[in-house]
Amino acid sequence: MTNLAHDISKPRRTFWTMERRDAAAGYIFIAPQLMGIVLFVLIPLGLVFWYSLHEWNVLANTFNFRGLGNYEQLLRDPALPQVLAASAIFSAGLVVFNMSLALLLAVLLDQKLRGIVVFRTLFFSPVVVSLVAWTIVWGFLLQNNGGINGLLQMVGIEGPNWLRHPTTAMISVIVVQVFKNVGLNMILFLAALQGVPKELYEAARVDGAPRFKQFRRITLPMISPTILLTSIITIVGSLQVFAQIAVLTQGGPGMSTTVLVYYLYQQAFQFHFFGYGATLSILLFLIVAVLTFAQWQMRRRLVFYEN
Amino acid sequence: MKTDLSPRMKVALYGLMCILLIPFVFPTWWMVTSSVKPISDIFAFPPDIIPRQFDFSTYSQVFELQPFARQYWNSAYIAALVTLGTMIVSSMAGYAFARIKFPFSNAIFMVVLLGLLIPSEVTIVPLFQMFLSWGMINTHWPLILVPVFGAPSVFATFVMRQFFISLPVELEEAARVDGLGRFKIFWTIALPLAKPALGAVAIFTFLHSWNLYLEPIVFLSSTQMFTLPQALTQFTDAYGGAMWNIQLAAATMTALPVLVVFIIAQKQFVEGLAHTGLKG
Amino acid sequence: MAPVTLRSVKKSFGQSDVIHGVDIDMTDGEFVVLVGPSGCGKSTLLRMIAGLEPITSGEIDMGGRIVNDLEPKDRDIAMVFQNYALYPHMSVATNMGFSLEHRGASKAEIAERVQWAAEILGLEPLLKRYPRQLSGGQRQRVAMGRAIVRNPQVFLFDEPLSNLDAKLRVDMRGEIKALHQRLKTTTVYVTHDQVEAMTMADKIVVMNAGRVEQIGDPLDVYDAPANRFVAGFIGSPAMNFIEGEATAEGFVADGVVLPLAATRSDLAGRTLVYGIRPEHLVLDPQGLPATVKLVEPMGSETQVSMTLAGTTVIGVFRERVRALPGEVIRLRPETVNIHIFDAASGRRL
Repeated sequence: MTNLAHDISKPRRTFWTMERRDAAAGYIFIAPQLMGIVLFVLIPLGLVFWYSLHEWNVLANTFNFRGLGNYEQLLRDPALPQVLAASAIFSAGLVVFNMSLALLLAVLLDQKLRGIVVFRTLFFSPVVVSLVAWTIVWGFLLQNNGGINGLLQMVGIEGPNWLRHPTTAMISVIVVQVFKNVGLNMILFLAALQGVPKELYEAARVDGAPRFKQFRRITLPMISPTILLTSIITIVGSLQVFAQIAVLTQGGPGMSTTVLVYYLYQQAFQFHFFGYGATLSILLFLIVAVLTFAQWQMRRRLVFYEN
Repeated sequence: MKTDLSPRMKVALYGLMCILLIPFVFPTWWMVTSSVKPISDIFAFPPDIIPRQFDFSTYSQVFELQPFARQYWNSAYIAALVTLGTMIVSSMAGYAFARIKFPFSNAIFMVVLLGLLIPSEVTIVPLFQMFLSWGMINTHWPLILVPVFGAPSVFATFVMRQFFISLPVELEEAARVDGLGRFKIFWTIALPLAKPALGAVAIFTFLHSWNLYLEPIVFLSSTQMFTLPQALTQFTDAYGGAMWNIQLAAATMTALPVLVVFIIAQKQFVEGLAHTGLKG
Repeated sequence: MAPVTLRSVKKSFGQSDVIHGVDIDMTDGEFVVLVGPSGCGKSTLLRMIAGLEPITSGEIDMGGRIVNDLEPKDRDIAMVFQNYALYPHMSVATNMGFSLEHRGASKAEIAERVQWAAEILGLEPLLKRYPRQLSGGQRQRVAMGRAIVRNPQVFLFDEPLSNLDAKLRVDMRGEIKALHQRLKTTTVYVTHDQVEAMTMADKIVVMNAGRVEQIGDPLDVYDAPANRFVAGFIGSPAMNFIEGEATAEGFVADGVVLPLAATRSDLAGRTLVYGIRPEHLVLDPQGLPATVKLVEPMGSETQVSMTLAGTTVIGVFRERVRALPGEVIRLRPETVNIHIFDAASGRRL
């Protein structure tokens, strides 16, 4: 029998103890991510704030300190109430429609039915379709003489010119976005539904609870952590929607679908007001931060069950 | 709630699901079929669910109007690099945050998580300035560096961390007793076992990069450098009107390969996404 | 194959101490069992010996080498984990040879050692399988194979049998013991099961709340527990304790006089705890009255809960006791087997 142990002749106490060596490895492991965060998140965040204190027009090549001038301009901006209203309507409509449709689909897919996997695949498929391609097709379908109005006319309904009226344009961008991405939340809900222990339902049946009561009293509380998490992801995602608006409506008609990100893009990259664009970025950051914080706070009230 | 359903209930559920499927499936069908319709048929009434006549010249026109092959390659190689890079950066960081004890690890993790709170739209103005000063505007560097190291990879790091936390720690202790250092434990034990999570991260990251729209239109200016989402919106005639059938042909070529891959590997796709520490 | 010595080994997490300075001497080839209730620090101590947990102060000496700052891999130990920790993505043979691979052994050497270990443990038909294809007992065996393959200086076992069912546990107990007798490698074995500790150990270390309560030969620990904790922990059913006072006539508790050996007259007048193991209570028509609460026939013996001197005690009798709850039976503690503990310190007197 050979003894394969190494001979150790190290001093008894070295600086590089086990903990220190391991800690060094830890820093090496996180170094790329941490440097990226500093370089591409923290420094830009600082710069955004710095820029927001300046009047900066790239075309005119001006860069002048104006203190809180941009923020005063923000408060006086006649377009801002419209932009915030459009953002709020878009986000609220998206979250409500997305979460309820996702939950409905997840419950349907959780049934014992033959061929359910085919349905799952098809409901999920828009998630993997290129976002701009998906939006272009919908833009095509939503034309005044497009496929949707064509189908409606076949059953005798005169469809509106979807993208040319403020209300229907807003509904259109919400619907297009929901059908694109609802599959993700659907899958997360489905996984959560399938993670609820069967015994709980059996116990509820023994206790005589009818189906809808089982859903309300057992299913919803048990999947509430997933609902919270997906609602945060969905709401933060809804504030970032840009491509759909740029392709479908360019913020119109009028300013009816100009959400904050689109307005920010217009100000900074179409009109070249970088200073004011940075101020709008700060506003967007604050909104995201406040919403996320509020949702975490709601966790205490709404999440009945946590691991 | 898996109890056996009555036959009548089953029919009702199938019917409901088929109706619900329409807005999910019809647009894709309409995209593919309209892309081979002559322009005269494209707004025909009543709409042709199946094309009456086929015109495949739209596909060759896509390549004549734009350097589409080049743009395809741009999107593909950027997405591939971003996916690979994110898998490396995020699995390493996620592993360290899950497993290695080092000073300030929690504080640093909170700072990294800040990336989740900051949509890339917030930092697009200073990022543009930074890349401008580095001479990287109208190059693909911003589309590679920011997703791999910046805010978009934070979500991947979070997913990987959640996964590594759920791996039994004894496996790694056994490996330490067996003579492996941290790097080897990561490479030979933790990473091979993290395949499901890595798969999910790869899918998310690829789709994110493949769909990126704001960043390309901010950072890129010449058609040779364009990525697919950007190129798709460029198919317009001299008056700015959309050339629908050509645009839809380009859209079909963009969407269909990913869709086919998804349908072949849908099980791994969906289950990978579902079981990745996203359950709160 | 090396002696292992712990010298005032301490462990604290921040302000709280979890191991309060432990000294243990393990001679070469000894089978040492660390036993104690959960949370007593026995697993932490084992992990400190393994090098998986840093040592706050003190020294661990293996075969003359202080190993405090050595990585586990440099300590020349092998460990069997409670959940076996087999690498799920590697075959049984790869699992077993994995450590050798990382110590620069040649392929032929690895194959030979794996073959040797597989023969000893009867694992040859399973070498190509994966852990998920094995039963609990088979996994346990592979985990042991992985440990012995390297021929380490010290084996460490962390509650290796707690995931097995009762019958398999008894079989594996015997196998581990037989393996130790064959290989004669110093072994440290952690368990919360005092039966495992009694049956397997050359030396028992009883731990409680981060301290060593007693170290000794299993039967010595059983016959002469150092204190009330050890007396109560080792032995099943546990020793009966009755609180009272020693007097000239005997031990008085709740007005009942329990017999004491004549030699213990030194204890008179002190508040004490009287300890008697269940099997040392014998039925005797002239004995003390005890009210039966519950009778549990086991077949080979009968276990009876009853009230004696105002305290609930358990007796284990070879006889088949047929009594209903509420009936009075008479019994007598064997005076040679009585243990007396100080009420305040718990120490055995």
